[in-house]
Amino acid sequence: MLARMSDWSKVTRPIPVPNELSRPFWDAARQKVLALQRCQACKHFQHPPYATCVRCMGIDLKFEPVSGKGAIYAYTIMYHAGDKRFAAAIPYASIIVELDDAPGALLAGNLLEAPYTEAKVGRRVEVIFEPLNDDITLPQFRLARGA
Amino acid sequence: MWEHRCKVAVSGVGFSKVTRSAEIPLATHALEAVKGAVADSGLSISDIDGLATYPELPATGHAMVDGITIVSVNCMMAMLKLPNLAWHVQVETVNIGGAVQQAANALLAGVCKYAVVWRAMHNPKGTYQNLPGTHAAGATQFTAPYGFGGPGQGMAVAYTRWLERHNQSREKMATLAITQRRHTQMNPHAYFYGQPLTREDYLGSRMVAYPFCLYDCDIPVQGAVAIVLTTADRARDLKPRPAYIAGYGQRLAFEVAGRIGSLSSYMEGGRSSSSLTWERSGFSPKDVDVAQIYDGFSASVIYGLESYGFCKEGEALDFIQDGRMELDGELPLNTFGGSLGTGRIHGLWHIIEGALQASGRAGERQVKDVDVSFVGASAPIVQGTTFIFVREPY
Repeated sequence: MLARMSDWSKVTRPIPVPNELSRPFWDAARQKVLALQRCQACKHFQHPPYATCVRCMGIDLKFEPVSGKGAIYAYTIMYHAGDKRFAAAIPYASIIVELDDAPGALLAGNLLEAPYTEAKVGRRVEVIFEPLNDDITLPQFRLARGA
Repeated sequence: MWEHRCKVAVSGVGFSKVTRSAEIPLATHALEAVKGAVADSGLSISDIDGLATYPELPATGHAMVDGITIVSVNCMMAMLKLPNLAWHVQVETVNIGGAVQQAANALLAGVCKYAVVWRAMHNPKGTYQNLPGTHAAGATQFTAPYGFGGPGQGMAVAYTRWLERHNQSREKMATLAITQRRHTQMNPHAYFYGQPLTREDYLGSRMVAYPFCLYDCDIPVQGAVAIVLTTADRARDLKPRPAYIAGYGQRLAFEVAGRIGSLSSYMEGGRSSSSLTWERSGFSPKDVDVAQIYDGFSASVIYGLESYGFCKEGEALDFIQDGRMELDGELPLNTFGGSLGTGRIHGLWHIIEGALQASGRAGERQVKDVDVSFVGASAPIVQGTTFIFVREPY
């Protein structure tokens, strides 16, 4: 099969608007660090950030860096421009990643730097960072290199 | 078992005309469906003293305009001017099945006698998903920047996990799509009535959000359906044979807003809802004669069949083969055509068909000897409710 790369060059992604809960996540991403919310009582990582720990009801939550290595938990390949802003990129792979450091904390992303046909459940990926503007940098994923 | 089993029944059912998109105000559809359900029961509008709905607008990015894009309880009150109105509610944590359950509770509490529940669905002309703007706030900040624009994609990710974890193939889903479309040809109210679908149509159709092709997605329509619920003793005095509610349940799991639904969350939602329904009714999956399982996107039927306990995890696409879901099969499934046949009206049509099958009123598509009729209304993850209707109280 012909390897197909999605063309992201004409897509203007909607820019995330940080809020009280998510600001540390986006502040870290701007520094090219993936940091997730972690309960200081039970050490559970969760994403998206929430007001309390959804495992133990703890309220002492802090953002801690994680390695950014993980596996594709699930994915879809978008052929229909349901979101017109992404029409130029179809077909493209939207993926859900489960990080090694944070089981259960699922992150959305796109599979970049590879044909969309490379998206498969269980495939190893690693985080990369895609700056959208001076304030916001988007964590993204590519196939893991090396081990 | 539930002490209140079989003390509330569905009596009348009603349908509006279903059109591809909005041509007349949505309130007109809702009124037609409600009047139809009341007439089917042999009641007058003035007998109705309870109202319940779930008025959400699934088309994203459109204004909520009462009577045009949604039909709230207030809108219905204004239209009907009910002289004896005694109770009403709008639900939010689950879809329309929650409104049906609240109406049952109100009847059991004795605060109303004849409750009407409707679901009215708007399909705007033009773009269904209207996702403009340069920013993504709130829960969408973690999904929209990656092109997760709509519900189909959200459902599709759990489906790829299911397919690849269980080494299954999406081509087997053709059986669901074409069997339901065959059932649709016995449902004159359905959008796809008069339009058959072949296996070749399914396998050759364009991809929407892999693994979903066009025929895995229900078509957005404009329309409404409604039911009359009343107490069992009153239902027996009405014209139609009652369909008794033997038990119900609602999903008890939820996850953080903004997270894309995981396969395990679908399963947890379905198990939590159905376990209540099995326990309250005293039945188990093997007792069920006919089932309606929500199919807004086809994979919901997989999660339903497995999480409700009709088959083991990973086996649903094999389970539906070999005629098992046909009207004379082991588990006749979505006998009215499902949402894939009727168009996107959410779960109330599944509830209606479950009731019609239990009371022997399903006409040409009636399954033989139905005593126990199961309904899984709405996708099990977020909005799921489950019901059992029976022909005879026990």
